[in-house]
Amino acid sequence: MKFAYYPGCSAKSTCAELNVATLLVAAKLGLELTQLESATCTGARELRAIDPAAFYKLNVRILALAEREGLPLMTVCNTCTLNVLDAHAAFVSSEELAKAVNGALAEEGLRYSGRTRISHFLWVLHENIGEQRLRELVTNPLRGMTVAAFYGCHITRPPLRYGFVDSRNNIALESLARILGCEPIDYSGRMECCGFHTAAHDENVAIKLTGQHIASAKTGSAQAMVTPCPLCHTVLDGFQSEMEKDISQKLAMPILHLPQLVGLALGFTPEALRLDRHLVPTAALKKYGAEANPLAERETPASHHQAREG
Amino acid sequence: MTATPAPPPFARQLGQLENRDTLAARNTRLVPGDIVAVKVRRYDGDSGQASYHDFKVPYQPRMRVLDAMNWISENGTPDLAYRWICGSKMCGTCAVRMNGREVLACWEAVEPEMTIEPLRNLPVIRDLVVDRTPYEEKVAALQPWIERAAEYPGFPEPLTHREIKDASKALDCISCMCCYSACPVVGLGGFTDFAGPAPLVQLGQTALDPRNAPEKVKRSLALTGIFNCVSCYKCEEVCPAGIPIVSRVIEPLKAKAAKLLPEMVKHSLALRAVVAARGRVDPTALVLRVQGWRALLKFPRAIRLLWRGKINPVKTFIKTRTAAYDAAHRILGREP
Repeated sequence: MKFAYYPGCSAKSTCAELNVATLLVAAKLGLELTQLESATCTGARELRAIDPAAFYKLNVRILALAEREGLPLMTVCNTCTLNVLDAHAAFVSSEELAKAVNGALAEEGLRYSGRTRISHFLWVLHENIGEQRLRELVTNPLRGMTVAAFYGCHITRPPLRYGFVDSRNNIALESLARILGCEPIDYSGRMECCGFHTAAHDENVAIKLTGQHIASAKTGSAQAMVTPCPLCHTVLDGFQSEMEKDISQKLAMPILHLPQLVGLALGFTPEALRLDRHLVPTAALKKYGAEANPLAERETPASHHQAREG
Repeated sequence: MTATPAPPPFARQLGQLENRDTLAARNTRLVPGDIVAVKVRRYDGDSGQASYHDFKVPYQPRMRVLDAMNWISENGTPDLAYRWICGSKMCGTCAVRMNGREVLACWEAVEPEMTIEPLRNLPVIRDLVVDRTPYEEKVAALQPWIERAAEYPGFPEPLTHREIKDASKALDCISCMCCYSACPVVGLGGFTDFAGPAPLVQLGQTALDPRNAPEKVKRSLALTGIFNCVSCYKCEEVCPAGIPIVSRVIEPLKAKAAKLLPEMVKHSLALRAVVAARGRVDPTALVLRVQGWRALLKFPRAIRLLWRGKINPVKTFIKTRTAAYDAAHRILGREP
């Protein structure tokens, strides 16, 4: 299975470990990823409000790059995903917009016809790999590991895009966690907002909003939280010590990117998945790594490359 | 005969079938003869005591949350306090939280087990009745009316559908307060100056009207704290009028703010400039640009980020252009 891969800005900077883990895990899953080197930022939440014309051009351009490769687009960030989905929807519903955007893209010989299928890595796991194949590939089932799924907003809302009457009914992360051998827990934060989009000018909203949910996950005996969005990760992991001060409670909750959780179950070591690159220590999860499990088939980046080359 | 198994859902909709997350499924969960187990949060404003009371309500065809409340009131609990007037999604007075979700009691099918609570983020007067005063004061402060920039040109006014498209979405609002209750930022109380979704929708009805004078819109927008919206779409999720509050009201209002109050939009303009200069966001550059000298106060945090390799000052200060620079510069090089 081939995909055009769009990591977004976060996975290329503060959350570079997400990019590392995605590339490792994708190769193991048999996903061939083509990097869209010249893809820009999608504009986060800012551009779509203050400069919609530029927002559509940047996002449709990413879709056009994928279309030129003849590949579906795979994302690993919730906000990027919603941005390209929204831009695609606007593009196909307005001929005028389509004409204006394609006019701008023509300067570099690009053109979008509306054919690119957009999929987040979480959806690719369910749709393109599937439960059966995933179960076959899980060489290090994460038995005994309790995880709290933190979906983030833009992979499950707005209702007009995803169709949920009540987004709390989404179970994509929990059902995946079960396939990997983990036990998902219920807590207050599953569908809540991390507040990232106000954090650049004032991180206090994010700290206030999110601390209580990590505390709830802790009360529910979660050993880790997992999120499909690097922006949520930035808040949950990066601001956790500030949250601890705010609620006067020790949290010490390791936060995993989705491909890191999958990677552990596929036999990669915590080091290979760059769990050491988080602010909150992840040492407590070492016991779930393939090295600690005598029955697990170990997978290292080197052995994997050898296997592929062999 | 067994029913044909439903096809597996789209991954992005996993849970919709499993949890009956469609209107049709929700409306056919119960049949006459079933019992609806209702738990109601009751609150006595005089004593300040709150408690949950259980009721067993016999299901009737097409039963709504409001019908269950009426049944409880008519069968032994005449002092249950709740509001409703029209019973048909017009007056916006009967909103409550059912199983943790804001709904209009007159428009929502009952669930087999349901907990009914008053809306959040507003003071409770009694049982399910909330005090709407804080909301109304906010709306009044925003002065949601039109002050014409030009003379009234007489009827019919030259106004196109396109010019009024966002304001007309906002005009669908029935002021039910569902979004105000669902908003996590409003839930932080006075922590920010964010007006909240419902007052912004009320403001959008006139501020997004092209006849309104920019000076007037500017005055109102300055009071909204609109950039504290976290874009979580919780408001859109619960809006019974189906208003795309974030994308058709809050974002167009932010666009107005970008033109009229650039100092309020510093963060968004900074992001635009960073992407135009580099092709992608460099988080350090963005934070320095937005927070300026305030960022220096977070020196210990910067050290921690540096230690874990989360930030790269070399890249930031020598202004690395990514492979995306050319395209970003071409698209964003001009002023918005």
